[in-house]
Amino acid sequence: MNDFIENQVLDTLSTSGKSRPRPMLEAKGLTKSFGGLLATKNVSLHVNPGESLGIIGPNGAGKTTLLNLLTKEITPDQGSVFLDGNCIDRLSIHKRVLAGLARTYQVPRPFHDLTIQEHIRVGMMPNRLLDMLFHGADDEKEQEIAESVGLGGERSQRFPYELAMGDLRRLELVRTLATEPNVLLLDEVFAGLTVGEIEQISDLLTNRRATHSTTYMIVSHDLKALEPLVDRVMVINFGEVMAEGTFREVVADKDVQNAYLGTGWEQE
Amino acid sequence: MFAKGTNKGLLGWMIFGIAMLALPLFASTATVRIFVFANYIAIFAISWDVLSGRTGYISFGHPFLIGIGGYTTALLTHHLGLPLYITIPAAVFATMIAGTLFFLPALRIRGTYFALVTLAFMELMYGLVQVVAPDITGGTRGLTGLPSIVTGAVSNYYLSFGVMFTLGLAMWLLFKTRLGTALGSIGMNEEAVRACGLDTTKLKLFAFTLSAMIAGLGGAMYIHYLGSIAPRGLFDVSFLFTILVACLLGGAGTITGPIMGAFFLTLLLEFLRPYIPGSERYLIYGTATLVLYVLQPRGIHRLIEITVNWFVEGFMRRKST
Repeated sequence: MNDFIENQVLDTLSTSGKSRPRPMLEAKGLTKSFGGLLATKNVSLHVNPGESLGIIGPNGAGKTTLLNLLTKEITPDQGSVFLDGNCIDRLSIHKRVLAGLARTYQVPRPFHDLTIQEHIRVGMMPNRLLDMLFHGADDEKEQEIAESVGLGGERSQRFPYELAMGDLRRLELVRTLATEPNVLLLDEVFAGLTVGEIEQISDLLTNRRATHSTTYMIVSHDLKALEPLVDRVMVINFGEVMAEGTFREVVADKDVQNAYLGTGWEQE
Repeated sequence: MFAKGTNKGLLGWMIFGIAMLALPLFASTATVRIFVFANYIAIFAISWDVLSGRTGYISFGHPFLIGIGGYTTALLTHHLGLPLYITIPAAVFATMIAGTLFFLPALRIRGTYFALVTLAFMELMYGLVQVVAPDITGGTRGLTGLPSIVTGAVSNYYLSFGVMFTLGLAMWLLFKTRLGTALGSIGMNEEAVRACGLDTTKLKLFAFTLSAMIAGLGGAMYIHYLGSIAPRGLFDVSFLFTILVACLLGGAGTITGPIMGAFFLTLLLEFLRPYIPGSERYLIYGTATLVLYVLQPRGIHRLIEITVNWFVEGFMRRKST
């Protein structure tokens, strides 16, 4: 970790003065196949500091696989991942989180016997056994983080089985936020939510973008909810990058309409 | 350092400690001996709970770890005549090494597969001590005439209780720290723990080594209490099930639950003996276990918790009216 921070500092010094920002997250030529199925083919992307990139595409296009490759839940056959200019190919899942790359899951993965506040505690926990053993939890900080997603106070003592899907998504989000990520990958953050819940999560992310410099990569099928949250969109189809640009540019693309959106987007 | 509610729990430990310390003043020697056995089963249950109750890696091979501890001290005292203050720490150390062996499958498998691999460890050990160098291990007949740590029922009771109580309290307090929360989270969703930036391999290795340490200490002390060691008694499925049932019936992952389970099972069987001396009493044992498990799947621990809360709430209601 110290090497990582040292590299970051050195790289920042060496690149200072350049006009083009160094991408906070970058992937070069990510390829992964499962037997005969090519899940991602030579996918390259970059997300600049503070930027928000939307990832869209049909079911089975390889969006979640791409996220899994970035976090190393799946090891790529080819390609590399860079975080703030540093190659993180050799970092395991938890080390990538410690380096600042965290994610949420398409299907929430709560700890069934822990309260919301305890979820935050696990997210905040240092990766050192002695610290875990001898230093108690920071109740105030945990409450502050819970409050930031509207799950503070009495609600923070609830268990996952007491929560509706919207709150489960918030729980997933707050546990990830507790790791203090620089880059946050959100997988299908609006899936299974009601209109009201989508609005709540969307507001939460919009407010957070306004107050924090976190870099985002958001996978979603809900394009209306996604539009205000992203600066750019990348379309993936059959494991390949099909189109890239602003939201309006992408939805106007004929190939994207044929493969994914259907007709009617140009008029909206 | 510790989670909320720890002080209330400590009061319970204090009451339990005082009651158990006073027990030999009122109980017969035979009863005290039954409690010695219950203490050792509780130590083994605590060891199982640290590993399987918390991290969800179900071990069917705990007798393997207990056996490593037992055989190490037995061989060192029997053949080399080394004193117990050397052989018991050596046994604990050897079991901790064996615990890391036990840990290797956990890097790749979990669930039923892990449980079966650990069962294989136990069976392997059973076969090995009988076949490989039986003149050293004593083969199927094992080794007898092993020295005792202390003599007399009451001394053995205080020794076994002291160790059980110290280990139980220490593990219970450990579970109340953030480390305990992290270990428990592994049992609930290991991938999510990794996604929180925690090294689950390191955490699991810690739990495996700690569990092995307790099993090794318990195993070594147990065989010196018995004065003999034999593979049939140690690497036996019914011995394994006694530990498992004690944990599940008591309430896995709580430390206090497995201790309660160990006492309940041992005392039930032993106190039934005068009335039903034959193996029929196992029928009652099985029925009681099933009924309790159906009644409260989270164990005796939860049952007591609900009862205490019910009384406290009733008392508070009456006080307020």
